[in-house]
Amino acid sequence: MGKTLFEKIWESHIVVEKQNDPSLIYIDRHLVHEVTSPQAFEGLRMNNRKVRRPDLTIATMDHNVPTTDRSLPILDQTSSVQIQTLEKNCKEFGIKLFDINSPNQGIVHVIGPQLGITLPGTTIVCGDSHTSTHGAFGALALGIGTSDVEHVLASQTMWLEKPKPFEIRVEGKRKNPHAVTAKDIVLSIIKNIGTGGGTGTVIEYRGDGITDLSMEQRMTICNMSIEAGARAGLIAPDEKTFDYLRGREYTPKNYESLVDSWKDHLKTDGDAKFEKQFTLHIDDIAPQVSWGTNPGMTSDVTESIPSPDEFSKGDSNQKKGAEKALDYMGLEPGTAIEDIKIDRVFIGSCTNARLEDLIEASKVIKGQKISPNVQAMVVPGSQMVKKQAEEMGLDKIFIDANFEWREAGCSMCLGMNPDILSPGERCASTSNRNFEGRQGTGGRTHLVSPVMAAAAAIKGHFVDVRKMDLS
Amino acid sequence: MMKGNVIKYAQDNVDTDVIIPGQYLKVHDYAELATHAMEGLDPDFHSKVKEGDFILSGKNFGCGSSREHAPIALSHSGVKAVLALSFARIFYRNSVDGAFLLPIEIEQDAYDGISDGDEIAIDVSLNEIKNITKNQTYKMKPFSEIIGKIIAAGGLFKYKPDQD
Repeated sequence: MGKTLFEKIWESHIVVEKQNDPSLIYIDRHLVHEVTSPQAFEGLRMNNRKVRRPDLTIATMDHNVPTTDRSLPILDQTSSVQIQTLEKNCKEFGIKLFDINSPNQGIVHVIGPQLGITLPGTTIVCGDSHTSTHGAFGALALGIGTSDVEHVLASQTMWLEKPKPFEIRVEGKRKNPHAVTAKDIVLSIIKNIGTGGGTGTVIEYRGDGITDLSMEQRMTICNMSIEAGARAGLIAPDEKTFDYLRGREYTPKNYESLVDSWKDHLKTDGDAKFEKQFTLHIDDIAPQVSWGTNPGMTSDVTESIPSPDEFSKGDSNQKKGAEKALDYMGLEPGTAIEDIKIDRVFIGSCTNARLEDLIEASKVIKGQKISPNVQAMVVPGSQMVKKQAEEMGLDKIFIDANFEWREAGCSMCLGMNPDILSPGERCASTSNRNFEGRQGTGGRTHLVSPVMAAAAAIKGHFVDVRKMDLS
Repeated sequence: MMKGNVIKYAQDNVDTDVIIPGQYLKVHDYAELATHAMEGLDPDFHSKVKEGDFILSGKNFGCGSSREHAPIALSHSGVKAVLALSFARIFYRNSVDGAFLLPIEIEQDAYDGISDGDEIAIDVSLNEIKNITKNQTYKMKPFSEIIGKIIAAGGLFKYKPDQD
């Protein structure tokens, strides 16, 4: 029987294989940031261990860095300590660090691919759940906790239960690909399979709806695999993948011979079997807006907020969850989504802060001003994205529309730095999680695409962006 | 055998952002971290939780972020095990690898049968949960072999793989 892409990568990385139990897997790349690494380095130090492969370990600071003027000192003492600790640890253990002043600094899942560190067929880990992003390149990319970070630092391996392969086919052609984006595709998938729909699996996204996407759009899809509970998400590499990585700063010297081997090997065989299957037809899908407190609580922009009964379809915990979510979000069933007024707009995060995201959002706002009741910010995913956007004049478009134009980092996606919502504030956010308190205590998050976020900034409420001229 | 009282959250999708909100991920003192455990969902948690308590909840417990601060905050609050219908995998592994608490997968009978405040006893060797308050017994799903060994060893770094 043939093998899936996931099984091929898995088998080529086994150090110790166990049936029905975790196997020991070799890790090709380890990405490190300031929040989930301090205790891991401390553990190494306490046990007199070294980093086994500092050459395969790369660090940056993204989670709690300020996004304001970087020449000023960091006011938050605890953030400052965490940032200094990473600098110290990288120096002591010989790890390459892109620090706060580096032109390569940025969200770890944005810079990995941008620098050519992310490669097809590799295993990649990082102490961050959105590591699944790198799966867009046909890598098996897993989010891990700090104990496993320490284990990988020390041994370049980790114990992992073999996930089951899950095929998600995305079929068809979007009528308006500027208005209905990769974000809308992945939110539609999660809305259908649920936040636990991918638990214990590695999703392989397939079909013409996926191969049509650019690399940056594919990253948006794979990024949110974790929101469906999956261990990872991946997409078989193709010419777009190989072109994207060609000639980047850390792309290997023997790249073309690697590409030749990837072309033959890195695809799911015709007769391979998946343990789970789901198909989404995208010809007629609408722009998506989340209304609840997990990414599965999402509707078409043209719909109204469902009642907990409608949403739960008879499941009592789902019903309770929806009631609690609506209470937290301050929303009533039956309210049209287009009538929801917003206070804040956040265009950023490892889901949607790449150059294409900023280009698409800028088309919506060019020559316009944001609603006087709205405060809006753009946080580019990396300093490189920021520079590229500035070279194209995008910063000027955003600033002229009264957006704030910030330095790169995770920012308001997770509320670790000063960029947070106040209690009760409602935000159209291009990030990945709408959990209670995620963007600040009492903050209300609606997950949307960059285009929807930009349109909501202008109008002050959600709109059917298919009706706008986005060409 | 572990014995303790249950704090029940009768819901699915208890996420890591409510277990320990992002603003506390800069806190390195575990005792301080514990004072903010479950703050996003139950601000009274810290005042009511006792050493040896268990948390009981529905599906997909610990979904979201990979922050190990989540099981650490619960563990340092005194929580010895979380019983849930299912777990998000990163939370599950973090709990085991750092030997913070036991993630115990239960069936619907235990979820329905155990109420908030019930006293229960968990016997991992028998894969059994006894509800002392209600005099009922339920099965827990057994740990896989290596997970069981990591737990028995006291965490990932104390576990010595077989030389076979």
